[in-house]
Amino acid sequence: MIEWLKSVGRSFYNAWVPEKRYLAYFSGLRMTLLISLFAVLIGIAIGVMIAIVRVTARSSKLLVIKILDKIALVYITVIRGTPMIVQIMIIYNLIFTSPNTNPVLVGAVCCGINSGAYVAEIIRAGIASIPAGQMEAGRSLGLTYAMTMRTIILPQAFKNILPALGNEFISLVKETSVISVIAVNDLMKMAGYVGSRTWDVIPPYVIAAAIYLIMTLGLTWLMGLLEKKLAKSDRR
Amino acid sequence: MIYTKDLRKRFGDHDVLCGITQHIEKGEKVVVIGPSGSGKSTFLRCLNMLEEPTGGEIIFEGIRITDPSTNLDQIRQKMGMVFQHFNLFPMKTVRQNITLAPVLLKKMTQEEADAKAEELLKRIGLPDKADSYPGMLSGGQQQRIAIARALAMDPDLMLFDEPTSALDPEMVGEVLEIMKELAADGMTMVVVTHEMGFAREVASRVLFIDEGIVAEENEPGEFFGAPKNPRLQDFLSKVL
Repeated sequence: MIEWLKSVGRSFYNAWVPEKRYLAYFSGLRMTLLISLFAVLIGIAIGVMIAIVRVTARSSKLLVIKILDKIALVYITVIRGTPMIVQIMIIYNLIFTSPNTNPVLVGAVCCGINSGAYVAEIIRAGIASIPAGQMEAGRSLGLTYAMTMRTIILPQAFKNILPALGNEFISLVKETSVISVIAVNDLMKMAGYVGSRTWDVIPPYVIAAAIYLIMTLGLTWLMGLLEKKLAKSDRR
Repeated sequence: MIYTKDLRKRFGDHDVLCGITQHIEKGEKVVVIGPSGSGKSTFLRCLNMLEEPTGGEIIFEGIRITDPSTNLDQIRQKMGMVFQHFNLFPMKTVRQNITLAPVLLKKMTQEEADAKAEELLKRIGLPDKADSYPGMLSGGQQQRIAIARALAMDPDLMLFDEPTSALDPEMVGEVLEIMKELAADGMTMVVVTHEMGFAREVASRVLFIDEGIVAEENEPGEFFGAPKNPRLQDFLSKVL
């Protein structure tokens, strides 16, 4: 038993200390964080645009909006109906064929395009959950559709969807690990490199898992704080 | 002030308004009554184009607002509306609810709007609620604030869509009181309501809408004292 614990300890020591291997995890972590951050931003940008198109299309008679709505529907269907790893392979080989593309850009675009579809549906459901009377009240005061959306509907929708959005971001951080199948040195890939160097793959992957867990726990905590802050108008 | 000509509205293959022609003059207080589903709320909601009429026209202060080229947002700034379910903005304070539109539409600076809000809150008897959120207030208080929110835009016409129907009985009085004061100040008002006492006391004219048409209209004394339309007689015998 003690022998076994000693050997496990040695394995983890080997996976962390010699040749400053911890630096590999940190550089991978840095890459994962950067990709996650930009992917979230891209995902929100795409998500908000698509959601607004889809919501507006219900009441608008403009042909442009109707066409955009159809495009949005195709995008959402395809992205949600195919595995992310396949999407990454296609996007990577289709767009980023130059050998010296920025890996953060590649990762963020791939993950962001994927996340956008999910975010769009979350936001659309959030907007739909706001009673029609709110839009009517805004419009009856003379506010334009866009003003009412921005100042009245979206803030309320955002509050309602925050838990779902938080879950989406947390799974996005985890799913960026799939990006390691292409030439991006994220946390997952760096753990793999360490494993191939020490001939012992389990400890580096356990270390990577621990780092992912810390990140998602941190995000969960942040989301909780934000929810609490936004709940201040709920006091009765 | 506002004039509707042969106003029609159809939902699917159901005709809700079957041609309503009405002149509402400045300073008039028109009360609209009728059985539920008769089209009275639809009529009111057509007046500020929240509901788009499928026929006829509406002319407000000389502008044909049923024209597709009309800037409805500008028109609506001059028509306040009060809803059955208040529709206050829940994540904004009472003060923000009142000042949002005037500031956003650049009618007032934030300071002017805040002063106006204070004055309006005093007028509706809730000067200490400026920093409360709507969720903390009673239905009657919320509806009074909804009235103040509409008044903050200095409208020429106020539309009330069953303003007391969602209230507990003991709160109806405080809202009607505000509306009576408003009427006494000379505001032009169109009120859809089931409050016959209010109609009798405040209205300059009462309309009975039934099956999408104005079946009878008169000044309140005659309207309630000697109704001619048999359906109105029947309706009044049930509600009075």
